[in-house]
Order: sequence, then structure tokens, then C-alpha cells
Amino acid sequence: MKWRIALSLGMLASQVLHAQEIILDKKASLAQVYLPVVESEQLLSMNDLNVEFGYVLYQTEIVTQTENEALELENVRNYAAVYVDGKLQGTLTDNRKKMAIKTEPGKYLLQIYVENIGRITYGPEITDNSKGLFGGITLDGNEIENWKMLPLNVRKFPVKNLQFDVNLSDENPGFYKGTFRLDAVENTYLDISGWGMGEVWINGKYLGSYWEEEKQRSILIPTEDLAKGENEIVVFELKQPQQKTMKLSQTPVFK
Amino acid sequence: MNNQLRHLTHIFLILLVAQVGALKAQNVVDLSGTWKFQTDVMDFRRGSLSPRYNHELQETIQLPGITDDYQIGYKVPYKYIDRLTRKYEYMGPAWYQRDIEIPAAWKGKKIFMYFERTHWLSSIYVDTKEVSQIDYISVPHNHDLTEFVKPGKTHRITVCIDNRYQYKTHKWNHAHTEFTQINWNGILGEMKLMAIDPVFVEDLQVYPNIANNSIKVRLQVNNDTKKQVKGKANFTITGPNYNLKSEIAVVSNDSVTFVESTIPLGKNVKLWDEFNPNLYQITAQLNTSDGKTNYQHAKSDTFGMREVKQGKSHVLLNNRPIHLRGNVENAVFPKTGYAPVDDASWERIMLLMKDYGLNHLRFHSWCPPKAAFRMADKHGIYFEVEMPMWGKDAEPDEDRYNFFRREIKAILKEYGNHPSFVLYCNGNEITGNFDFIEELTAEGRKLDSRHLFSGSTARTRVKSDQYYVSQQTNKGPVKVYEGLPNTDWDRSTESDVDVPVISHESGQRCVYPNFEEIKKYANSPVEARNFEVFKDLLQKNGMLDQANDFFRASGALTVLEYKAVIEALLRSSKSAGFQLLSINDFPGQGYAPVGILDPFWDSKGLVTPEKFKEFCGPTVALLRYEKSAYFNNETFTGKAEVYNYSNAVLKNAKLKWWLTDETGKVLQKGNLKTQTIGNDGVFPVGEFAIPLKGVANKQKLTVHVSVNDQIKNSWDIWVYPPHQNLMQSTNQVLYTTVYDDAAKKQLAQGKTVVLYPSPNQVKGRKSVFHNHFWNPIMFAWPPMTIGSLIHHKQGMFNDFSTSYHTDWQWWDILNNAKVIEMQNAPEKLRPFIQIIDSYDNNQKLGIGFEAKMNGGKLLVLALDTEKDMDKRPATQQLLYSIDNYVKSNRFAPEVQVEESFIQSFLTK
Repeated sequence: MKWRIALSLGMLASQVLHAQEIILDKKASLAQVYLPVVESEQLLSMNDLNVEFGYVLYQTEIVTQTENEALELENVRNYAAVYVDGKLQGTLTDNRKKMAIKTEPGKYLLQIYVENIGRITYGPEITDNSKGLFGGITLDGNEIENWKMLPLNVRKFPVKNLQFDVNLSDENPGFYKGTFRLDAVENTYLDISGWGMGEVWINGKYLGSYWEEEKQRSILIPTEDLAKGENEIVVFELKQPQQKTMKLSQTPVFK
Repeated sequence: MNNQLRHLTHIFLILLVAQVGALKAQNVVDLSGTWKFQTDVMDFRRGSLSPRYNHELQETIQLPGITDDYQIGYKVPYKYIDRLTRKYEYMGPAWYQRDIEIPAAWKGKKIFMYFERTHWLSSIYVDTKEVSQIDYISVPHNHDLTEFVKPGKTHRITVCIDNRYQYKTHKWNHAHTEFTQINWNGILGEMKLMAIDPVFVEDLQVYPNIANNSIKVRLQVNNDTKKQVKGKANFTITGPNYNLKSEIAVVSNDSVTFVESTIPLGKNVKLWDEFNPNLYQITAQLNTSDGKTNYQHAKSDTFGMREVKQGKSHVLLNNRPIHLRGNVENAVFPKTGYAPVDDASWERIMLLMKDYGLNHLRFHSWCPPKAAFRMADKHGIYFEVEMPMWGKDAEPDEDRYNFFRREIKAILKEYGNHPSFVLYCNGNEITGNFDFIEELTAEGRKLDSRHLFSGSTARTRVKSDQYYVSQQTNKGPVKVYEGLPNTDWDRSTESDVDVPVISHESGQRCVYPNFEEIKKYANSPVEARNFEVFKDLLQKNGMLDQANDFFRASGALTVLEYKAVIEALLRSSKSAGFQLLSINDFPGQGYAPVGILDPFWDSKGLVTPEKFKEFCGPTVALLRYEKSAYFNNETFTGKAEVYNYSNAVLKNAKLKWWLTDETGKVLQKGNLKTQTIGNDGVFPVGEFAIPLKGVANKQKLTVHVSVNDQIKNSWDIWVYPPHQNLMQSTNQVLYTTVYDDAAKKQLAQGKTVVLYPSPNQVKGRKSVFHNHFWNPIMFAWPPMTIGSLIHHKQGMFNDFSTSYHTDWQWWDILNNAKVIEMQNAPEKLRPFIQIIDSYDNNQKLGIGFEAKMNGGKLLVLALDTEKDMDKRPATQQLLYSIDNYVKSNRFAPEVQVEESFIQSFLTK
């Protein structure tokens, strides 16, 4: 039995070795990837905005009259992060389309970042393929109008051109950058535990996407995408601005 | 020998044969034939004071069979638009009854009533008492009647088959759907009463070990004697030129004893795979005794020597990567209304798979009967089977959960020995509690190492996944629904995750229905009444004469899309395979005629198996190139690859390429370096370039690549001269983007107007190259069109090479056009570029048409002629061809239109 104990200790040691923590200590603003704004009294779905898939920022001004008002969306395809004056209020999906806006009465900037990267979050019963937000949005029963819609060029924007100069305490969605060193290059899993929803690039090459509601918590980084020595990681994150580290793992990570 | 003696010998021999037969048969009573019958619309068990099992039933039915076979149920008056219509619907309990004498010789034996397949709850009443209920949907029902029947006595056996949904499972699950097979009520396949000794082999599982050519046999011995029994299990293993015997001692003190034996099979035993589907039969003969009484029982099954493992990107079969070229099977059996249980029907399907170069079937949300596995074992087809699980079926519901917990075990036990049973998945596109999905998946892996397991297709991943069938991974999309006019792309990067990835439900390109199929349903339990509705609508809209053209043109487009889709997935070296949806039509979910075979698995005549196999088979020549349409001053560059998942390395393979014109004449040819091409992968084999200057004055050319003159594939390209100064007005012909006074004047003078409004000045539908995804009824997504019918023999195409259907040269034309709604134009007016409308709408649509108007001649073309024209050789050529036409005396439109029609589709 001795050899088995030795083996597991060995495995533990190598796991510790590879559970390297990556610190993402630079931030780039999302405004760099804004595509031309579309203004409309009514909401336009992603289809109407000619956005096949990706992210759209729906933005407008709201006036709250009480400290707790119900924000209700008619359709959410597929996922939305709701920000009021640059602070995350919560997230919505097509199964959960109502939330409370808690503010002092007043005028605020409402920003709803909507994701549809083809991730399937609804059943076969839904047979229309409208994406984004459509139908109406109400605040305490009153229709919200006059929307600015900004498609975000997240996936295709060359990440090397991003300017990382935003203060890390800024709580808006954005891009985060860090570096890590590898002594040897082999298949590695990026453990995204703690992050909310977003996408990752390694050494300028698109790696993949993640979402905290999935059981799968890691993305395989193929050997050919890694370099011996310094490697760069860029993460686009929609809703967890406080998260600053990721880990590398030798094995896939599941919840 | 005198004559009389010889005669006696004959009689003796006949008696002997008869007696052996009787000996064998006396432990089995065949239950097929006439049964008494009663429908049950009031649910007697719950609602009647005098339930029917207390009485003799008054009607009769033949079993095996289903109620539909006898027109039992509600005669359906409707024409369902979204599926085939079942002629007689029956959903409820139905009662089947027979008085059966239990042979006196069965005293002391276990007595079972066995139904090979039924739907879905079967209950047995002995005389008036309910004694057994079974609700498996994927496996036979074997009712233990031992305690309830008396040998020597005649019992009234009443069987209730209840085909109502026994659990809240998704109505589309193909195991019990009404929409592909039907939700039938009846009993199918073998139905028998059996007697066996009370010490018997309840289960026989065979686990091959290919590393040392052995099998581990695991027997579950049931002992109902309540005494200790001792004896032996004798194993006989046979195959072609193979015979081996082995035995093991058996001692049983309990009601259930497990016996395991590892049997070396020697080096002559052969492995099983798709190329060499070597099978062996194993029989376990159990002989035991309690000291006073001897007990005998034998159980047999078929197995193959094969192991399945999870590789990095592929499923490993016998430690070699396999690539799955699959079809999604959705229990589509309109001929019978149920999935057949006979070998011949399934053998036909397996041979079709082979004919079309496929090696894999995914049984979507259902598990087929034993005959399917038998024929897949025989012909080397890899199965993925599933439970009836779809959509919200994983949302919490303990009854439903327990049903699934039983069903997975039953599937693994019943079909686990079949070498064709390679992959197991719980079901399709599941949502709900994924802890439950993980529980099932982990349980499956623990129970049976002979298959790879996966939680759900196309949804959340779980830890125990050993492979993943999906539209996308966290790296991006892995499904391919449509082709492109360029081929230098694949889905490798997106497939590169922690488990092998199989492309889920690729294809799905809709073909216009073939109304000739209506008559095929005369003897089926279902009818294509939807086709009748579509056909009537087409007639009403004045285009019934075009029905077959619509079918052929959209069908040709689907074939070229599938070629492109499949080749893209074969180029994806890190993909474990694909599942095409589907080679045959899907008659539910709106009715999706996406197949190259109809729902009866008969060819629609759109492509031959030989042609299909050029791009879908164990070895395929592939070519990566930049585009399909060229100017004649360009050079075609092809990067050749060979997909080789055959049985062998291709040693010193001779690689040729050549270019032909439409007559088949070879214009250019060359060789790539002779080389040895590996197996189990996709291998680049070299590049070649063909300068297109002066190759031909023909436009359509074909690039061919061959490997050892055996494996051939080809791709059509189009080569055009560049044109300058197109669309020049003359005195006789006015080109205009607007219908203005000048145009009116030109027509009034009896001259020609070519009206080519910018697409954004035209009301109408978006123009797209691809035909509709899946079907326009389930997914009513604009533009709701099913490809194009080109009136290719008309004069405007004299200088533009095209078939009656669109091909890749049409890419830049269709992507820069607008589809005009033309239903209000005169019936006789047929656009020369005709767009095929969704068959539930069937309106006349077109991009270009000609007509007489206001005394002049008019040609309308809703096509952009400005944007990137230097990259649109086909558009240039089409305009050139039209120009020659309108400036010739061949231009003589016949149908008169009103000005109001022209104004109807132009924006103000």
C-alpha cells in the first residue's frame, strides 16, 4: 500500500504545481468595442439590429420614484446583466424576467447587457429565433422607451488593440488582462471558478466562453496555444467586476 | 431393404423429428394469434363497478399487432398540417384476453409471460386478479406468473395495455411520440408463455478483454428453491471456425447468486469492428441439483470482442480512434406506425447506412428493439441509444426520476452485450436538475464499462461525460447546418475540449415535399394529409405543374449542402464525428422533409448512394479552396487532404487531380507526390494550382481528386471572363433602376426596359442561398424560402451556365438580391429566377422575370449591381447573358402585366 500513498502524494504535488494562480490586474473599457449605436423608441431585437450572435448593450435613462421598483422584461434571449449607474443590479434570463431596482428616487442610467452567443438556455418549445431583448420593458408597470442599442464587437475585436488603462475599481463590464509563466507546455485547463459570464483569449487567440451556471468550470487550453515562458490572458467579463484571478488546472473542473 | 421397411423408417424419422420439436416447444407456449379484445374509453380499472377483466371480452384482435391495424379508435377527421395524420387514434387502456391452459408438466417450474415490445404499461390479470405490472418502454416485459397460475388448469389471462403517458415525460420523446412512429397500443414481436426450472440464469453479461483475448462472464443465477443447490455452468462459445467449452462450479445458497468466470479465448479469436464485424455466440448451460431434484437452464447471447474507450478527440474502439459518420434515427416508421422488431426491416436500414458510407446511428430519445442491435452487430454499425428524455424531463419529479433510474439499468442489461452498443446518452437537449443527470451518467459508468456515457446532448456538461454530442462547446459552434462556396474551414478548434465531441444534428436542409409520396400511405396507419393540403394550395395558386420541379430543385440544393456539410465535418480532424439530421425525412415537428430518403427510407432519387459515398465514407478525398466562382485570369488553388478512417494505411498512394468540362473532357491534370497516407485521421497530401486563363470557354468546370484511382471526389467551380461596361442602354434597350417617366415612355414606344431596382428599393423577402432550416412550420423564420428553381433553358441563360437548381455559382447573386412577391401577377407569368416558397404558403416568388407591358418589353431583375462587382464574377456573367438576350430578337415576352403590379413591389 505504500506505493499508492507515494503516488497520490506525487499527484498532489504536481497538481499544486499546476494550480497556478493568474492575476488579472489590468482592465480595458468596453467602449472600445462599441459598434454604431441604433436609437429607437421601442426595443429592437438582435435580429432587427442585424446582430446574428454576440452581445448588445441596451441603454436608456430611467427615473425612479420609490426606493424599490420592479423592472420587468417581456423577453430575454438569452441572458442579461442589469446595471444602474455602472453598478450591477442582477441578472435575468427568459425563465426569470423580473427584478427589483433599489435606488434612492431619481434619474439613473439603465444599462442592460444582453448575451446571445448561441448558448442554449431554453427548451425545444421555443420555436421563434428572436434574440436579444424584444417586446416591452416596464418599470413599476410603466413602459420604458427611447433606447440606445449598442452592439458589442467582443468576439471579433483584435484583443491586441485593446487599451488597458481603466481603473480596476471600475465596476462596469470590461476586459481584464494578466500574464502567467510556464516552465513546460502541455494541455492545461483554465479554471474559471468565481467568474460570471464571459470569454477568454490566450496569447491573442480566442480560447472559449464560460458561464457560472454551467457545471463545467474549465476550458481546455491546447498545447499549441501556449508558449514556454510568458503567456498572456485576456478575459471579457459581463458581471463579476470584483473577480481578479483565475487558475490553471491539470484536469477538467466541474461543479 | 424392402419398400415397406423403408416406409416405416421414414415414419420413424418423422416421429423422431416431431418429438424433438415437441420436447423443445413444451416449455414455451406461443401466444400469437387471436385474442379477445375490448377498448376502454372509460378506464374500467378506475371507473367501472364491473371491470372488464371479470368478464369475457366480446371482440377479437390478432396479436402481435396494434389497434391501428384494425382501424380501432377515433377516426381522425382532421388534416394535421404539422405531421402525418394517424388514421385512427387510440390512447387509453385496451384489454386483450385469452383462456390459456397451463401445461400440467410445468409443475414446479417458473412461469413467465413475455412480450417483446409493448407500449407502455402492461398489466396481467389471472382470472380476475391483477398480478403483475411492468412499465419499461425500451425493453421486453417479462411477467413472472409463477405464484398465480396452476399447472394443469385453464386460466383466463387478461392483459391490459395502457399507452397513455405513464410519466410526465416530453411528448416528443421518440420512444412514445405520436409524431414519428405513433403512440401505438398493442403487443409486438415475440409473445409467449415460458416455463423454466426454478434455478435459472436470470442474466448473462459478457465483458471482453482484448488485451489478453479473454472474456469475463457474469451470471446472475436465481434460485427459487429456498434450498442450497450445487452444480456447474457450462459455457459454449462458438463462431465461424471457432468452438470453445469452459465450465465453472456453481453453488447457490441465496435467491440471487452472482457467478463470474474469466474465459481465455485464445489467439484465434477475432476482434469486432465496423470492417470486420466478427460475432460469437455464448451459451451458459446451468446444471444444478439440490440433492433430490436436478435443475437445468440455458441462456444464450451474442457478443463481439471489442473495447470502447474515451480518447482525446475520438471514441477509441479496440484502442483505435474511430470517426462517427452518423444519422439521427427518430423512430420514423410510417409503414407500420411502430419500430419494426424483425431482423429483415432493420437489416435493410443497416445496409442503407453502409450504402451511404455511414457507420453510426443515434437513436434520438429512444432505444430500438433487439433486432436493430442484432443487425448492427452483424453489419458493423455503431449505436448511440437514449432513454425517452428530452427538454424539461430532468426537472424534479421523483416518479419520473425513478422511471429513468429503472430504465437505464434495463437498457444496459438487455442490450449491454451487443458490440454495436457503443454509446449511451440519457436523452436529447435536457434541461432541469443536472445533479440528476450526473447521477444517472455516473451510475451507468459504474454499471457497465462496455459503452461510453454522456449526460445530455447539446446542453449542460456533467463531470461523468465521456463524450459530448452538441451544437456547440465552450470553444464555439460544432454543428454545421449549411455549406459555403469556399472549403478552407472546419470545426476542429471548436471540437477541442476535454472529451470527444460529436456534431449534433447537422444538416437539416428542407426539401420541397414530393407529392408523389401521398399514395405510399394507402396501407399505413398514417397518411400525408398535410401533403394534400399543400398540394391543394399550390394548385389554387396556379403552380401545381411545378410541384415536381420545386421538389427536384430544392432537393438538389439539399444534396449539395449535405456534401459541403459532411466534408466540413470530415475536415475537422479533432471532431469525433457527426450525426446528420437526417438521411431520411422526419414526419413530425412541423414535418421536416430534409432527407434524401423519404420517411419509408426509400430514395427520393436526388443522389445515388455511389455519389454520396464519394463524400461520405471510410476514405474520402477532400479539397480546401478559396471560392467556387473565378474570373478567367485567376488561378485555382486546391489543398488536398485525405480523410482515412478505413481499415488500413494507404501505402504508396497515388494521388491524381484533374479538371474536366461539362462534357467530361479532361482539360488539365497532374499528380501529387506518391505517399503513404496514415489511417485514423485526416492527412494533408499536397497542393496544386490550375491557372484558369484559357482553360476553356466553358464556365462550369469540375476539379477531381483521386486516391489510387479508387477513392474519387469532385467539386464544381465556375470560371467567367471579366466584363466591363455592363448594362449599357441603347436606343432600343433602356436600363433603369427606377420605374419612371423615361421607362414608361420607352415601353410605350414598344421598346425594351430592363428594370433593376436596388434590392432595398424592392418590397419583398430577403434573398438567401440556403433552403430553409428544418421546416417552415416549426421554425417560421424569414425569409421562408426553400431554394430556387432556375428556368435554365430560357434565353436569358444562354451565356450563363446553370442547371435547373442553384449551385455555388449562384452564391453572390442570391446574396445580393431581393425576392419579389409575385402571387398577384398573372398566373402564366413564371419568373426565370423563381424562388420556392414555404409549402404551407406556396406563393409565387421571383428575383427576375420578363413580361409585356404597356406595349413594350420588360425585364425585371431585383439584384444589386453596384457593390463589390469586381468580386462577383457570376453576377457579371449573368448580367452579360441577360444583356445579350434583351438586345436580341430572342427577347419576346409572352405574358402581359399591368403597371400596378410593378408598382406593387417598388418602394415609393
